[in-house]
Amino acid sequence: MISESAAGAVSAAPAAALARRRAKRRATWRRRGVVLLFLSPWIVGFSVFFGYPLVMSAYLSFTTYDLLSSPQWVGLGNYRYLFRDDPEIWTAVKNTLWLVAVLVPLQVLFAFGVATMLARAKTGVGFFRTVFYLPALVPPVAATLGFVYILNPATGPVNTILDKLGIEGPLWFNDPAWAKPSLTLLGVWGIGNTMVIFLAAILDVPRHLAESAELDGAGPFRRMGWVTLPTISPVILFSVVIGVIAAMQYFTQAYVAAAVAAGQASQAGSVSTLELGYPEGSTMFYPILLYYNGFRFFQMGYASAMAMLMLGVAFLLTLLILGQSRRWVHYQGAAR
Amino acid sequence: MSATTVAPAVRRKPPAAVRRRRFLVAVADHSLLIAAAALFLVPVVFIVLTSLMTTKQALSPRLWPEPFAWGNFVDVFETAPLWRWAFNSFLYAGLGTLGLLVSSIPVAYAFSRLRWRGRDGVFLIVLVALMLPPQVTVVPLYVMWAKLDLVGSLWPLIIPNWFGDAFAIFLLRQFFLTIPQEYIDAARVDGCGEIRILLTVVLRLAKPAIAAVALFSILYTWNDFFLPLLYLSDNPDNWVASIGLSQFRSLHQVQWNLVMAATLLVMLPVIILFFLAQKAFVQGVTLTGVKG
Amino acid sequence: MRRVTTAVVLFAAAVLALVLAGVASSSKPSAKAPAGGTKASATTLTVWVGWSARELKEFKKVVAEYDKKNSNVDVKVVGSINDDKIVASLRAGQTADVISSFTSQNVGVFCKRGAWADLKPYLDKDKVDLNQFPASTRQYTEYKGYRCALPLLADVYGFYYNKKLLAAAGLKGPPKTFAQLTAYAKKLTKKKANGSLDVVGFVPTFGFYQNTAGAYQPLVGAKYFDGSGKSALGKDANWQKLLKWQKGLIDWYGHGKLVKWQAGAGDEFSASHAFERGKLAMMMDGEWRVAFVAAEHPELQYGTAPMPVMGAGTYGAGYINGTIIGIPERGKNRDEAWKLVKYLTTNDHALATFSNGIRNVPSTRTSAHSKELKPDKNFAAFTKIFTHPKSATIPITPLGAAHLDTFQSFLAKWQSGKISDLVGGLEKVDEQIDAKMKRAGGGPP
Repeated sequence: MISESAAGAVSAAPAAALARRRAKRRATWRRRGVVLLFLSPWIVGFSVFFGYPLVMSAYLSFTTYDLLSSPQWVGLGNYRYLFRDDPEIWTAVKNTLWLVAVLVPLQVLFAFGVATMLARAKTGVGFFRTVFYLPALVPPVAATLGFVYILNPATGPVNTILDKLGIEGPLWFNDPAWAKPSLTLLGVWGIGNTMVIFLAAILDVPRHLAESAELDGAGPFRRMGWVTLPTISPVILFSVVIGVIAAMQYFTQAYVAAAVAAGQASQAGSVSTLELGYPEGSTMFYPILLYYNGFRFFQMGYASAMAMLMLGVAFLLTLLILGQSRRWVHYQGAAR
Repeated sequence: MSATTVAPAVRRKPPAAVRRRRFLVAVADHSLLIAAAALFLVPVVFIVLTSLMTTKQALSPRLWPEPFAWGNFVDVFETAPLWRWAFNSFLYAGLGTLGLLVSSIPVAYAFSRLRWRGRDGVFLIVLVALMLPPQVTVVPLYVMWAKLDLVGSLWPLIIPNWFGDAFAIFLLRQFFLTIPQEYIDAARVDGCGEIRILLTVVLRLAKPAIAAVALFSILYTWNDFFLPLLYLSDNPDNWVASIGLSQFRSLHQVQWNLVMAATLLVMLPVIILFFLAQKAFVQGVTLTGVKG
Repeated sequence: MRRVTTAVVLFAAAVLALVLAGVASSSKPSAKAPAGGTKASATTLTVWVGWSARELKEFKKVVAEYDKKNSNVDVKVVGSINDDKIVASLRAGQTADVISSFTSQNVGVFCKRGAWADLKPYLDKDKVDLNQFPASTRQYTEYKGYRCALPLLADVYGFYYNKKLLAAAGLKGPPKTFAQLTAYAKKLTKKKANGSLDVVGFVPTFGFYQNTAGAYQPLVGAKYFDGSGKSALGKDANWQKLLKWQKGLIDWYGHGKLVKWQAGAGDEFSASHAFERGKLAMMMDGEWRVAFVAAEHPELQYGTAPMPVMGAGTYGAGYINGTIIGIPERGKNRDEAWKLVKYLTTNDHALATFSNGIRNVPSTRTSAHSKELKPDKNFAAFTKIFTHPKSATIPITPLGAAHLDTFQSFLAKWQSGKISDLVGGLEKVDEQIDAKMKRAGGGPP
């Protein structure tokens, strides 16, 4: 288009060229207008629901604010408490990092394992796929309630069956050493989404690659390591990133499980003292502590400081994973 | 992937011994799968069994309901305002999803089929929003909604969906990128403005992606717990199903059988939706991961 | 593909149809004038209380009497309100006209400017004599001189014991010291064939049912704060005596076995309560349990008494707190709300009726002697504990009960044996509580 106008400027009359340039400029502005129009919902949404809260959060993190009176500036006071005095914060950080280090890999591994088996299966694939996907549809609250009930150390079916087999079942959600593994079981049960993604990716692996590897004498495990895994590595990366993001936001299941397992009944009579992260702080995850500080103890300023720390860590983790990924992720065909 | 080869044109039934061996191999091959499936079904089985027990039996270690208390599913409606909760969930899911689609589709289109300066850079910012845990922005947003006097209603949950959602934009953009340019060029040549192109060409071609996004959004809002907990807890009239379930316990002590029955009922709409739209669900899930 | 579209479209259509009907009704709660069947031009008062089920019915009965006598108001009662909801509603700015809370410790939170209104002007105007409320109840309804609440029946904690189980073990009468309690508990405990606990004599674990450090404090005479207002958990030897006793008994049962039994013990406010079912021989509980047993397990043969004591505790004393009631500052009909609050908290007939109904202790001197009170030998023990001079309540702080949460977290680890240095651990808790208090600052307006 540009060369056209250049030629036109030389050959045709100058007036026509000027008209063409003006028309083009109008077209460009009209196009920009359309782009702005299409983007407008997101622009407003981003500023109001992302940009503004982020800036406000940063500001509030330097104040004490309980919503009843106006925020009072305390400078670095919140951060000092955060890094020095808060007895619960490091438990919360450790627990959340435990999820990232244990729950996420297990979820990815199980999803991959089940998907591999499904890919090789010849009969009843639809049925099996439904069985594995269905738990992902269960509302997290309901799933957690179900698991707490099933894993009740005294009356739950699991321990009852273990008892009949002569095994002393663990205390599951009531034992600080078993509470997070119980939540992990719950998390692995719900890997339906990831599993289906892996399944599609595995089925997408070009047959000729697998076949030529087979011809070269590679056994099934070799084939998996050298053909399947590298080919689906973008999907593995995707699952890991999504998993880490979810682990950092982990709230519902821990909140419900702790309350139910602790037998908190907020009913007639005096208060039952809250045990944060029942049992013994083992289910105190960072988002839960943030919620308590902000919305139960109404330390909104401190909660904002916690949020800022969370933002930093989330950023770092994502950068870390993406940076590491360059080494082992292999994109098929042209670079994306 | 398997060791057997496909027989040529003339098919003779293999001898019985071979067939039996093949069956056993198949079962062995599938045994791990069967075992895993059984383990996955165990919690579901227990939930269903418990929902059919009487209150007393649910607290005892007995495993099989006797008698079968089908009445539990009716009792649930009497002991808790399940209809109210379901209605609120429908409101949130429906209005939220509608707004999400209406606002995210044009944005995704702008990021994929329109060319403008800085497009890919701004898209990166969209991705950053995706990474952010909601707890980071929750405090100032709560303050904002409190000042607007909307805490306790469903609006703080619904309104943000009408301004675009990072995940939906991401997914739709990836899909729109796959639409062949010829269709769009043809429409442009016909004199269509961008808006018409969007409405006629893109919408029709992108139905699977849009359906997938809609289904995801419905699923997510139906099961959302954190945001409703934050904004609705002090107004039981507006509780959605997820909060109602968790509060069900404290309203009526621990009648586990009723809690499980309520759980199944809350799951029901989503399961029905899933069965009706299975293909699109799976398609949508793969669109997220594979293309991304 | 078409099925998807159909499904989604149907879904959307259903929602849109419901939206038109629903948007109007899904608005925030407000004091709307109720539809027909009520008095014309009546002010609607919304009352939030924590009671539910049977107890809520009793409260509604008392309120109904007030409603009948006062034709210009229409009282609407909402039950099952817990403190999270109360605090959240105060912050969000939309709240009820009258609020009642079980957590008297939180009066330090409620008595802030903007939360619950100052009742002094109302009390002065109507010349209400504050001395009709016993000293302890006055203590947990004000903070630093700012009175924002009045007591609405009190809760007293005492000792329940299963007479049948005690007789079967050859034990006479309730134990009076912790040493006796331990001996009884061991004798009354029965195990199952596989070694797990079947009947437990006494559960010493904090966090189970009503076992809280706060409830045990008057029994050992321990102090929370020293003279200068700093946390004194590590300095008072009575806390150590209590915790060592507790740990000893837990270890005798086996911590894991006890936790397992607790998980199957039955919900506290249901008919499957372990004591009511005869699976727990002795326990500490509030006076309301008398009414629950009468309603759910009238055949249970049990007795009540003051809790055993040790250290600096005096036999006959116990832990007191109670329901508090106040008027949110942002409530709409404060004058009418005050009239209702005054009736509920000072009218002898109202207090006596309610006390009979839910078996809580009447909170004024005159109502405690009212002839309308129905005598009950099991309930009588609690009224005695209530009037004992050494019975105490938790000191009010601006944190509400948050500092007790810190203590409870420590106790959880102590109970499972993860803390070896008790005094060192308690001193650390003191530091944490002091830091939290400093951060909360707080205080009256």
